[in-house]
Amino acid sequence: MFTIRTTVWRGVALVALASLMLAACGGGAGQTSSGPKTLPSGFECPEPSPKLDVTSKEVNLFVWTEYIPQDTIDCFQLVYGLTVNRDEYSANEDMYAKLNSGSTSYDLVQPTDYIVGLMARQGLIQKLDKSKLPNFGNLDPNYLNLAFDPNNEYTVPYQSGTDAIVVNTEKVTDVPTKWADLWKPEYAGRMVFLDDSRAVIGLTLLTLGYDINTTDPAQLEEAKAKLAELVPNVKLFDSDSPKSALIAGDVDLGMTWTGEAFLAQQENAAIQYIYPEEGALLWQDNYAIPTGAPHLDAAYAWLNYSLQGDVFWMMMRDFPYTNPNTAALEFAKTNHKDLYDAYINSPITNTPADIIKKGHRVDDVGDALPLYDRIWTEVKGSN
Amino acid sequence: MAAWLNRLRDKHSRRGLLLISPTLLWMIGLLIIPLILVIITSFGQRTADGGVIYTFSPDNYLRLVGLSRNAPCGDTPPPCFDDLYVGILWRSLVLAFQTTVLAIVVGYPLAYFVARAPAKRRNLYLFLILVPLWTNFVIRIYAWIMLLRTQGVINGIVGWVLGLLHISFTPWEMLYTPGAVLVGMVYEFLPFMILPMYTSLEKIEPSLYEAAADLGANTLRTFLRVTLPLSAPGMVAGTILVFIPVMGTFIVSDILGGRQVILVGNLIQNQFLSARDPTFGSAASIILMVMTLIVTIFYARRFGFGEEVASA
Amino acid sequence: MSNRRSPWLVLVSSLVYVFLYVPIVVLVVFSFNSSRTNVVFEGVVNQGPCGPFYWFCQLFSNGEVLTAAQNTLTIAFVSTLAATTIGTMAALALQRHEFPAKSFSEVSLYIPIVIPEIVMGIGILVLFSTIFRFLNNALGLSGDQRLSLSLWTVIVSHIAFSIPFVTLVVRARLHGFDKAVEEAAMDLGANEWVTFWRVTLPMIAPGVLSGAMLAFTLSLDDFVITFFTNGPGATTLPIYVYGLLRRIITPEVNALSTVWIAMVLIVLLISQRLESRST
Repeated sequence: MFTIRTTVWRGVALVALASLMLAACGGGAGQTSSGPKTLPSGFECPEPSPKLDVTSKEVNLFVWTEYIPQDTIDCFQLVYGLTVNRDEYSANEDMYAKLNSGSTSYDLVQPTDYIVGLMARQGLIQKLDKSKLPNFGNLDPNYLNLAFDPNNEYTVPYQSGTDAIVVNTEKVTDVPTKWADLWKPEYAGRMVFLDDSRAVIGLTLLTLGYDINTTDPAQLEEAKAKLAELVPNVKLFDSDSPKSALIAGDVDLGMTWTGEAFLAQQENAAIQYIYPEEGALLWQDNYAIPTGAPHLDAAYAWLNYSLQGDVFWMMMRDFPYTNPNTAALEFAKTNHKDLYDAYINSPITNTPADIIKKGHRVDDVGDALPLYDRIWTEVKGSN
Repeated sequence: MAAWLNRLRDKHSRRGLLLISPTLLWMIGLLIIPLILVIITSFGQRTADGGVIYTFSPDNYLRLVGLSRNAPCGDTPPPCFDDLYVGILWRSLVLAFQTTVLAIVVGYPLAYFVARAPAKRRNLYLFLILVPLWTNFVIRIYAWIMLLRTQGVINGIVGWVLGLLHISFTPWEMLYTPGAVLVGMVYEFLPFMILPMYTSLEKIEPSLYEAAADLGANTLRTFLRVTLPLSAPGMVAGTILVFIPVMGTFIVSDILGGRQVILVGNLIQNQFLSARDPTFGSAASIILMVMTLIVTIFYARRFGFGEEVASA
Repeated sequence: MSNRRSPWLVLVSSLVYVFLYVPIVVLVVFSFNSSRTNVVFEGVVNQGPCGPFYWFCQLFSNGEVLTAAQNTLTIAFVSTLAATTIGTMAALALQRHEFPAKSFSEVSLYIPIVIPEIVMGIGILVLFSTIFRFLNNALGLSGDQRLSLSLWTVIVSHIAFSIPFVTLVVRARLHGFDKAVEEAAMDLGANEWVTFWRVTLPMIAPGVLSGAMLAFTLSLDDFVITFFTNGPGATTLPIYVYGLLRRIITPEVNALSTVWIAMVLIVLLISQRLESRST
């Protein structure tokens, strides 16, 4: 008995020691004091311009996983002397469920376009005070005033992109050019699709010539029948990291989004991104401020800092999506020419204007959502 | 009422209540009240935005068992029997059953081995079984991806061996199949089956084996007539500890099944998140709970819980 | 004890151990992979000042991971401590006392075992929101003072699902308990409190310890419930890792598992050493 108690105490002590060590290791980020604003890594932090008056001591971000450059966070903490708390999610629905509960205290979230309307209707996000966003002008007007948020009352564009066809041209000789091509029997068992019911049902609707946001039950029935032919040919559905399966050779082609395709191409140049004839799916991620955000001044300070050209260019460096920030593009063009060229020359990140015009944007379908869900459950579940 | 108050006057009884009060606080507060909320929600109706209208409508339950008025009937005239959700429930039951049986088959020898090992070594063997559990659940599943994928470790080794023998080899497609999900499930829950079985086996008096041998029984007969029956409580406890989580899990089927294997857990997760239909999700959760409750009560009635479950 | 150990049994048991450990071994080996995409093992990495331990160094300079690890341990610790205490008290109450609401307590303790985690998670989330909304309004709290999800809401939830397991384990231990020893102690003049500490507790200690370890394990690995109840700055490792699946899973994740496994093994080995030395 004595043995056991001693063992317990020693075990407890060990684990406590371990966690103390971890605390010591992890406490380094962003606590440095005044002086030249340089990060421990040597990266020189741009000054905030304009510098806002902030009394809060911290800011709480609720953002997509791996979607903000660490340097941005570190620099923000350094120049403003605030602590940045970051919680992450990997699906809009998870974020929505948390916010809908009303018991969270986040200052900023990153909703994708289709969920913005819903969140606004439910009173989960607050209207922006543009007078507090002097750097809003850095944004490309092409990404503003879109149907999901007229006049950008609630959102600040963050990154934009598309869903399209991705192909490993080494393994696939007959390269698909439209969504409908993916139904070809020769692709059976070789495809990856996003685990996104709206996107996949949506592209099926496109092959039938219907609207991607239709609520017509008859059209949806047709889409279900057509989708039921496709699903057995899909090797896996993956909305987390579809490029892994591509790079690993588990699949040879499929459907994915901008960032994944670009990264896959970096690993294997034979991987191509193809905009289908029926039209690609467009999406846009945005910043929004939840209702009841406890550190409003810090939130606006973050938004302004993040929008600066000399800060936002880091997105191009770290996360290959379409960049709606003209100031950032200008900065990159002048100071990081290689990065800029790579971005501009790639049709993946620099989506051609005609593709955008032909593209389709997913929107909330309200009452018809259970219909979509049922189709999704049925086609997946009857395997 | 008076009797109740009288009991309170009993110091013994008061002491009992005092000791149990924090537990009651937690159970009522964080389990029973949320559960009641879920039950209430399951009888509600969905608003366009995924909210809840609180009424008393059995629609969600009808939809689950396939007797909904709104079920899509295709060519047959309504009302018809919609087997979509029943199919999902059935598939989950089958998978849970398969996992449990495999866990028993794979785990029993090890449990027996550890139970009959010298006392000094037993703790070590047991800890070795527990160590994998202390690594991260998601990471363990990810390890199976590395093993099973087309260019993975297993295909790599088999291909290399066959290559030495000059036999051509097309890699096996193991990942993103229902088989992969089964392997993943067995792997995750094997320790929960081994430990209760071990406890049962360990309690068997060695003298019983000697007695059986003295009476002329060979190894097989001893096993069938002595060991197996006496270890039954352990198998039962293990079954409960494995069967229930497998029914409710969604991560394993998500990751290893390529999100094509839809179990009840996936269905529920879907309803609460993407489909934004908390009423239907709540109903599915209640049905799942009822099913697992039936299994639990059945076993508890026949065998009792006891120490076997406790040891795990 | 069996003195004739069947070689078949040893073989099969070893195979089962192999089955249990192959994924672990693969994880550890790949944490030294030079390939960033971590699909095929392309050789031992040798980059930067840390050489073959490149990914480990990357890991330790990653503040997010360390914070998550710290949170995970804190939550596990506190919730285990609380759940073990409360659960042991409950076991004593249920095993030795008769009181009103006894059957109710027993039944309610089985609920966390049969309830799907996601249901419990969402249910608790709704509960907290209602309480917080009410309290925030009633007490007029706002801004930073507002009650909201945090490390504490996670801890409270973890205690909730750990208590039943601790209770179950300790009860089983109490089941075969011989009260004669306690009575003897009391006959010798010890009062109830002393008897409990010096006689009862040491005798049920293995059960209490098992319960505590079970609670610790459950808390360490929990994903679903933690997801729904955590707030800013309270991310745990399982949530962090699950979120990492969005990117290429670099060997850094493997390095994390290797470190974790190593720590567990070290604690285990040391406790084994201590036990054998004191025996």
